[in-house]
Amino acid sequence: MATARPHATVEPWQDPNAEPILRIEGVTKTFGKVYAVDDVSLDIYRGEFFSLLGGSGCGKSTLLRVLGGFEIPDKGRVLIDGVDVTRVAPYERPVNMMFQSYALFPHMTVEQNIAFGLKQDGRARSEIEDRVAAMLDLVRMGQLGRRRPDQLSGGQRQRVALARALARSPKILLLDEPLGALDKKLREHTQFELVNIQEKVGTTFIMVTHDQEEAMTMSSRIAVMDAGRIVQVSTPSALYEYPANRFVAEFIGAVNTIAGTVVDAGEDRVVVRAHELGQDVVARAPQPIPVGTDVSIAIRPEKIDVREQPPSGEDNVVQGKVADIAYLGDVSIYHVRTDSGHVLRVQETHAARTADPHYQWGETLWLVWNAADAIVLAS
Amino acid sequence: MPPARLPALALLALALAACGGGKAPDAASPADPAAAQQGPRQLNIYNWSDYVAEDTIARFEKETGIKVVYDVYDSNEMLEAKLLAGSSGYDVVFPSARPFAQRHILANLYLPLDRAKLPGWGNLDPAVLAALEDVDPGNRHLVPYMWGTTGIGYNVAKVRERLGADFPIDSWNLIFDPAVAAKLGDCGIAVLDDEQEGFGAALIYLGRDPNGVGGGEIEAAAELFGKVRPFIRYFHSSKYIDDLANGEICVAMGYNGDVLQARDRASEAANGVEVAYVIPKEGALRWIDSAAIPTDAPHAANALVFLEFLLRPDVIAPISDYVSYASANLAAKPLVDESVRNDPGIYPAPEVLARLVDPKKLPENESRARVRAWTSIKSGS
Amino acid sequence: MARPASHSSLWQLWHQVFTDLFRWIGVLGRELSSSRGRWVVLALPMLWLVAFFLVPFLLVLKISFASAVSGAQPPYSDMIGTAEDGALTLRFAIAGYQLLLTDSLYVTAYVNSLVFATVSTLGCLVLGYPIAYGIARASPAARAVLLVLVILPFWTSSLLRAYALIGILRTNGLLNQLLMGLGITDAPLVILHTDLAVYIGITYNYLPFMIMPLTANLMRLDFTLLEAAADLGARPLTSFLRITLPLSVPGIVAGSLLVFIPAVGEFVIPDLLGGPDALTIGRAIWTEFFSNRDWPMASAVAIAMLALIVVPMLVFEYVQDKRLEGDRR
Repeated sequence: MATARPHATVEPWQDPNAEPILRIEGVTKTFGKVYAVDDVSLDIYRGEFFSLLGGSGCGKSTLLRVLGGFEIPDKGRVLIDGVDVTRVAPYERPVNMMFQSYALFPHMTVEQNIAFGLKQDGRARSEIEDRVAAMLDLVRMGQLGRRRPDQLSGGQRQRVALARALARSPKILLLDEPLGALDKKLREHTQFELVNIQEKVGTTFIMVTHDQEEAMTMSSRIAVMDAGRIVQVSTPSALYEYPANRFVAEFIGAVNTIAGTVVDAGEDRVVVRAHELGQDVVARAPQPIPVGTDVSIAIRPEKIDVREQPPSGEDNVVQGKVADIAYLGDVSIYHVRTDSGHVLRVQETHAARTADPHYQWGETLWLVWNAADAIVLAS
Repeated sequence: MPPARLPALALLALALAACGGGKAPDAASPADPAAAQQGPRQLNIYNWSDYVAEDTIARFEKETGIKVVYDVYDSNEMLEAKLLAGSSGYDVVFPSARPFAQRHILANLYLPLDRAKLPGWGNLDPAVLAALEDVDPGNRHLVPYMWGTTGIGYNVAKVRERLGADFPIDSWNLIFDPAVAAKLGDCGIAVLDDEQEGFGAALIYLGRDPNGVGGGEIEAAAELFGKVRPFIRYFHSSKYIDDLANGEICVAMGYNGDVLQARDRASEAANGVEVAYVIPKEGALRWIDSAAIPTDAPHAANALVFLEFLLRPDVIAPISDYVSYASANLAAKPLVDESVRNDPGIYPAPEVLARLVDPKKLPENESRARVRAWTSIKSGS
Repeated sequence: MARPASHSSLWQLWHQVFTDLFRWIGVLGRELSSSRGRWVVLALPMLWLVAFFLVPFLLVLKISFASAVSGAQPPYSDMIGTAEDGALTLRFAIAGYQLLLTDSLYVTAYVNSLVFATVSTLGCLVLGYPIAYGIARASPAARAVLLVLVILPFWTSSLLRAYALIGILRTNGLLNQLLMGLGITDAPLVILHTDLAVYIGITYNYLPFMIMPLTANLMRLDFTLLEAAADLGARPLTSFLRITLPLSVPGIVAGSLLVFIPAVGEFVIPDLLGGPDALTIGRAIWTEFFSNRDWPMASAVAIAMLALIVVPMLVFEYVQDKRLEGDRR
């Protein structure tokens, strides 16, 4: 079994010859007149920890239920290992789901819950016992096999649900908000545990979550969904650094967006006249953008540098006064109001220990960033 | 009964008492009927269902100004249970003379009648009064009301079809001869669910005394029933009326008035069913229903007024017409509708009359043994 | 003339008693609540139980130990009397209970009643489960309508419904007309006055008692559990047998008890629909009370019936408790 995360070394989605374990082709699912899933196509590869990320009602859960066989799409196909399973019943699919509510059988012990799927497969008694024991070990629940679900804590139930869903060694494990029912502290701890287990068993995980931080921490790739459509599919870092549009940029992490019009276009950079700032800014453009196009500039708060003296030789310099300060321990957030009245969000990391914030209310500052750190987004 | 014992009554008795109590808020001293006259002008009657003419009560209320509360029952046992529980709250009740009224008189459940208040007494048939002498010595408690017979009701066409046109239909053999009953079984034979009627008919068919005790009567009757039991569809005391009228059954041991009611229903429905009643040649039981005033009647004086009202020929004759039973009122007979008066099933010919037997009160253990045997007969075990 | 007791008049009787006592309790309750409201919250149900279960039971129990006295009013002996020397005496007659054990007729009646009740309870379960399941799965609006439809027959008297069944089941009845009209049968089926008619009657009459608790139970069933079962490879039938059925056991037990207990003592339906051999406890009590005027014997039969139902129930409850405790450990 691989000891490193597969996607850390290999990126199968970059390999044109790789066969996806799951292929979604133009899947559409409507409820009445509402398009819950709207023409979604997606390839997911063996060993991935793939997340479907989006707000409530974006269609991510419906898509997951289509994969589990609980919804039949109106259009499109679902293929697992090249086999069309679009209309295959849930009990005949090589996938298992971990339900948001866990859906543990309340009248069965932990062991019986985990053994349930194995019994359906008609496995030998001794094999079932071994497998159940192995699963209990995997989720560190070895002592609690005889308990019933109502005698377990929330975290323990979550682990039983995971063990039960993994017991049959499915080709794909579907996880519907697996951490949603846990409190914040337990959630962070469990994020890593879940990733470790995924690395151990090597199963392809597809997780639905509304929590961008969770998705960023755990996933090999993330599909951001909005209104039934996939907006962008990327690795967490690419999603953060190179959001495809304003929706993704604003959904993933904090961002300053500045509207403007392209006034000069170079080879890989553009000059944008930002009306809100009353000045021009320079930004990196991955592909040429014609002069006169209305665009948004996105710049992450931590990419902005703060100077107390007017700097020189920088790509972009904006002058303003401190309007708000938030001390968060590891970092401080400043809201800086430019002379034009626009507010920019700036983040400073506290590398050295000090009780005082670096800057004071009303203090005049110069904000500086590299053209390469600012992204031009189509409006 | 001392009132102090009341709390110790059975659940049902409690129910009965509570029910009766609600109806008798103005209970007058039962020992002094005259006191009741001070009470409100009210009368509580407990009678069989469908046992007066449609306008009888309205006429009484109009003539006397007494307000009548009229309740009905459909079994002597029901009436008896209420009377035994006590404080029934009723002023006039209509028990069958044998064995019910007879038992009740022995248990002092009825007031002696004040004949001075009953000038119509002379209208009663002396023969019926004489027949009640053993039940009510001196006719002190009971006013005979209607009387009738327990015979056989049958579906004319179906019985003829199975037994042949020449087969005489005049005997209990329709029910008790296994060879005959076997031919009628699939078409349906019903027997009254009443051990007095059941044993009575069986013993009469066997040529024995229906009132006999200690001569193996129970065993003989049980044996007879055992032979024809497979052909009897059910034992019930009122279902047969509808079933005869619908053609659901062919033969029923039944009360003459009920069978005639079935006959009328069938002809009204024009369903092609013809029902007839016959008093078997071997003989049959005669029953007499009577009216009486319970000992604890709250309005005993008003009760006497009502009894006198019933003694009037112009009152009782329309009742006979309506219920198809002969009344014990001789003076009323000329006023009875011709079709009723000339129906041999209602007013039998003298030679048939002579074959009728009055059931006698049996010793308690004999009665119990009959009930036990009857239950066995019914369950076929 | 002699006809069996009118069931409707018995009902009138009960109605009267209940309304009177209810009013009395209401007055008492108001008195008490003005001073100590909380106490009343507990006291009222207790009072209800005492007034309608304990007191009647004790009265019946007491009468069952009396002896029948012909011509007395009421027709049984006093339990407490005075001896010739003036000493207080207590007399217990156990003749009734002795007769119960020695006369096979009563054993037959008990067995018949238990068989009728058991078969009918199973009938209610088999019919009621799918109905309850359908109602529980229906949309809330449809569910309300369906539940009303289930209860609707209860707005008519049970006697009326029994007579309606007579009209359907009898030889010339609707069912036979339909079957023969469709050419399914050549000759009419004899159903009325057979045990089958009693099963049909009790099942029909008590079906809502099964459906209501089952529906309540199945409505609480988490549908995702069935999705989870399907996800883990269970076909629909397996899901039902391993998930739905075990989880609805409390509903099944509640519904079965609600049907079984009154069915054991049922009188009207065996009397009207059953054959003459359908000797039941209800009929035995009727015979003792009305035909034999033997109130003590009737009470003894009733007490024995109670013991027959309650004792197995208590044992079941006890075993169940033990099992649950065992699980917890």
